[in-house]
Amino acid sequence: MTATTEKKPPAHAAPRPKGIAALKPHTTTLMVVGGVLTLLGSFLPWATFVLNKGPYPAQATLQNFTAPLASSGFRLHLVLFGIAAIVVALVKRIPARHRIARALGYGTIAVSVINGLWITVEGGGLGAITASEGSVAFGAIVALIGGIVLALASRVGDLEPVPEIGWKFNRWVEWLILLVVIVLLLLLVAAVLTSGGFGATATYAGAVFLSFLAALGGFLGALHAAGLLGWVNALFDRHRGYAVILLLVAALCLPLTSAGTEYWMTVATNIGVYAATAIGLNIVVGLAGLLDLGYVAFLGIGAFVAANLSGAAASAVGIHLPFPLVMVIAAVIAGIFGAIVGSPTLRVRGDYLAIVTLAFGEIFVRSAQNNIGGLTGGSNAIPGIPPVEAFGIGFDQALRIGPVSLPRGVLYYFLIVLLVAFVMAVFANLKYSRLGRAWIAIREDEDAARAMGIRTGPVKILAFLIGAMLAGLAGAIFAHKTATVSYESFRFLESVTLLAAVVLGGMGTIPGAVLGASILFILPEKLREFADYRLLLFGIALVLIMRYRPQGLVPDAHRRAELVEEPEPIDTGGDKPTTREAVAP
Amino acid sequence: MSILMSQIVNGLILGSLIGLIALGYTMVYGIIQLINFAHGEVFMVGAYGAVGTATFVLPTAVTTQWWFLLPIMIVIGALVSMVVAILMERFAYRPLRNAPRLAPLITALGVSVALQEAVRVFYPEATAAIPFPSIFIPGALVLPIGDGVPIQYSGILIVVVALVLAFALNTFVEQTRLGRAMRATAQDRDVARLMGINPDRVIVLTFALGGALAGVAGVLYGNFYNFINIDMGFQNGIFAFTAAVLGGIGNIRGAVVGGLAIGLIKSLAGQYLPGGGAYDYVWIFVVLIAVLVFRPQGFFGETERVRA
Amino acid sequence: MTAFLEVRDLTVAYGAIQAVRGVSFTVERGQIVSLIGSNGAGKTTTLRTISGLLKPVSGEILLEGEPIHQLPAHEILARGVAHSPEGRRLFARMTVEENLRLGAYIRKDEAGIQEDLERVYSLFPVLGERRRNKAGLFSGGEQQMLAMGRAMMSRPKLLMLDEPSMGLSPIMTQKIFETVKELQAEGTTVLLVEQNALAALALSDYAYVIDLGRTTISGTGQELLADPRVQEAYLGEGVAS
Repeated sequence: MTATTEKKPPAHAAPRPKGIAALKPHTTTLMVVGGVLTLLGSFLPWATFVLNKGPYPAQATLQNFTAPLASSGFRLHLVLFGIAAIVVALVKRIPARHRIARALGYGTIAVSVINGLWITVEGGGLGAITASEGSVAFGAIVALIGGIVLALASRVGDLEPVPEIGWKFNRWVEWLILLVVIVLLLLLVAAVLTSGGFGATATYAGAVFLSFLAALGGFLGALHAAGLLGWVNALFDRHRGYAVILLLVAALCLPLTSAGTEYWMTVATNIGVYAATAIGLNIVVGLAGLLDLGYVAFLGIGAFVAANLSGAAASAVGIHLPFPLVMVIAAVIAGIFGAIVGSPTLRVRGDYLAIVTLAFGEIFVRSAQNNIGGLTGGSNAIPGIPPVEAFGIGFDQALRIGPVSLPRGVLYYFLIVLLVAFVMAVFANLKYSRLGRAWIAIREDEDAARAMGIRTGPVKILAFLIGAMLAGLAGAIFAHKTATVSYESFRFLESVTLLAAVVLGGMGTIPGAVLGASILFILPEKLREFADYRLLLFGIALVLIMRYRPQGLVPDAHRRAELVEEPEPIDTGGDKPTTREAVAP
Repeated sequence: MSILMSQIVNGLILGSLIGLIALGYTMVYGIIQLINFAHGEVFMVGAYGAVGTATFVLPTAVTTQWWFLLPIMIVIGALVSMVVAILMERFAYRPLRNAPRLAPLITALGVSVALQEAVRVFYPEATAAIPFPSIFIPGALVLPIGDGVPIQYSGILIVVVALVLAFALNTFVEQTRLGRAMRATAQDRDVARLMGINPDRVIVLTFALGGALAGVAGVLYGNFYNFINIDMGFQNGIFAFTAAVLGGIGNIRGAVVGGLAIGLIKSLAGQYLPGGGAYDYVWIFVVLIAVLVFRPQGFFGETERVRA
Repeated sequence: MTAFLEVRDLTVAYGAIQAVRGVSFTVERGQIVSLIGSNGAGKTTTLRTISGLLKPVSGEILLEGEPIHQLPAHEILARGVAHSPEGRRLFARMTVEENLRLGAYIRKDEAGIQEDLERVYSLFPVLGERRRNKAGLFSGGEQQMLAMGRAMMSRPKLLMLDEPSMGLSPIMTQKIFETVKELQAEGTTVLLVEQNALAALALSDYAYVIDLGRTTISGTGQELLADPRVQEAYLGEGVAS
């Protein structure tokens, strides 16, 4: 008998879609309710007591709750979400209301789950976010319900397609809009980077950062749903040259924002090194479709070359060449090794090629570990690489230009911004060149490419060569910036991380590689309390991305999705029917 | 002379282990053309599972008797690895069965990293190497060559178990109904379905068998070297993959012979080639590249291959 | 009374391309039914969908009144539908006997399997003589015999043969079709896809023409042989005159 009663829940669950569908006429009400709940949640206390690590940010704790309307931090984000939801619910002229509501709902859910979970874990139980010792704090739960109601409303209502906004203005007006957008972007990047602070005082950096990221996701999702992102994108396309210059200037202006401290400059420089390397890898993997599992070796080769040619005391070579020359030599030598590693592509394809590149990567690491030829320092590394100097200024110095004082490390930051810009320019030009088309043809179907007269061998080796040169350049800067080069920075796991950056961001796209590299290198910076779990989560993330979003965060629009299944998988097993039959004897 | 002999002995012992791991690579590649990068970690997990059970679960009375403990640990190692391999297939690879080839390979990398890290994070003190109990007759048989060539009994155990299991596996694949179904699925999955074979089950079986063998290898490895660490999967996994390619991927006998060859190359190169022991890994990677470039079909004829 | 096999309004697509768009036909118990049509008309796709290798976009397939189009291929076989695919698709690296045993994969009655092995060997003596040889070494005709034998080994109620005469000599074709007739006499229902329309129609109780993914003309074998549209399109002028 018990068995039958236990079986009941699924039976109840079955007609649920009907229940949801019955709500259809009330989506507007639902949206209003969701918005109001979100607002309410943001004004309620979130924590019932002061946590051990100190009060939770944004005055979330009951005791600190003196001015409920002076919202800041994640509570402010929720206030904005709530108001936006109510506005979207009531103003029916807004296009794609349900889609916007969905983004707002997901954002609200994410923000409340992240903060609620954090407080629960830090506070040692659900009491921390509900009621404990006479205090009540249901903020997280109310906001979560608000978010769920919003998401539900969008689920019940029909999701509209993303509208296309065709607004066109006079050129100067559009330029002005772009300027505003890019300035906002700059401030946003600075805010994300610095959110939660750093060091011993920033106990909740992880939570604040994640929550900010979630809020940003919801916010951008809503803008995208309203068609505004698409419109801005179109603006970019219309004024590409202007926008690119503006972006470059904006990137160079980052030290003027709240991120202008030595610490954040170092973080940003490291991100830059990996972003540049990831873009290089994106040429090999994203454009030419050749999986390279030993790519970080080229970064390493560049770094070791620079270390040896820049007068480090520990270097066996002991000459000191000017930095620009060092960069060129580093790139050339990395490129030569790239061509060597790439040469098996003449005979080996697919996953076997991936293994060949992995083997080369391992040979590099082992050799470097054994201080091959006295060039790599082995386990002692090569320390004491002098900073880059230009016009008598060491690049590790702080800078003062008139009234503006810039922190230490800013010059390396400028250098890396220029490098990333250069690498992006190379990538963009290659992608739309003859060579780029040849790569894409090879990626899509190598035999067909050959049949069309593409000399696939040299073209593939060129992909490795160019990718390696770019990594070599990045390596040269990396060596000077960190002042110490050790083989440990170039292990297999680093190659996997770079690959993950490319995959996460979206193969074959520039913003994808930059975004992927940024996320993968900021997250560990922010989530120090999870440092132990970093690689574990990272491995799981790779699996999940491949399963649920193989095209990455910024998919390549021009690419016939190599990593996405054909739109209709009617074949219930086996390979794709067409190829199978073609192969059958 | 006795140095050469003992290097050969070491090579054969390591080679038998690698061959045992290589069987999993070769079978999985034969059937779904996936380089199951995480297979090395399956081997590692088996060793940790067995040692964890012995340390934290089994009563000490049991752990003092090797003839009792050895079979228990082997079975536990095999079970742990098998379960991990099955879960991996089910949740990571199966959803990508029809996806382009890069996707499962990247997934395999992710699984590999995740498994290794899971052990590092959740197994007590796994950040460093942990001792593995000696669960077989200690000591060595000394061959009367030169100054005497010792062969550890635990090493003999490895060679014997590896050969027996490889032989059993070969018999299973060649002679039984399920083995036939495996070969059929490897050759032509669609037609196998027309024969009434459920490819999903055959593929799970393949992962399970390969996983179990890797788990056994993990326990034998720990017993022989007396220490295990979380890197052992990656290194030996690459060796095993090299062995599988060397023997002709999809070929069971080839995997064993390839494993022995890799074991010998490693120990002899470490002894006699420039650079010595510090570079023995490098030589294996050189062999791997050379084989993939010049003879990707391996050194054993096409006829016995399981692969279509 | 429900038909033995009924296909209703079947639509099947490879990606965006619809290979079959509205095929309907029925097969009665004990009949030989042919699907004829030109290359790429959708015949093979239809068979692959019936045996469960493909899933339809829409439409139904009923076997003895029960829908089977959502079942996986191995369960459809278990319900008595065997499919000998186009191009034979033998397991080339396995022996004749292993191929035949795979045909009987779902059966566990060793005695019955032995019996059926002997039956195939007596039907096609050349297979019996070379039962330990690898199937890949055989000629086209011998491979076709083996493919048919393999499909028979599951003791199917419905045997689907895709282009059994492809690439065979006239004598060999004759031999294959005689065997089909024998199987019918033993009670097996046969669904035949053929380019060799003349031979197929002569053999069939009923036949359907598939054109551009649709069933167009149907009738008994004799009716279609006499139909001028069929003569012109599929039988060639030599037959029509």
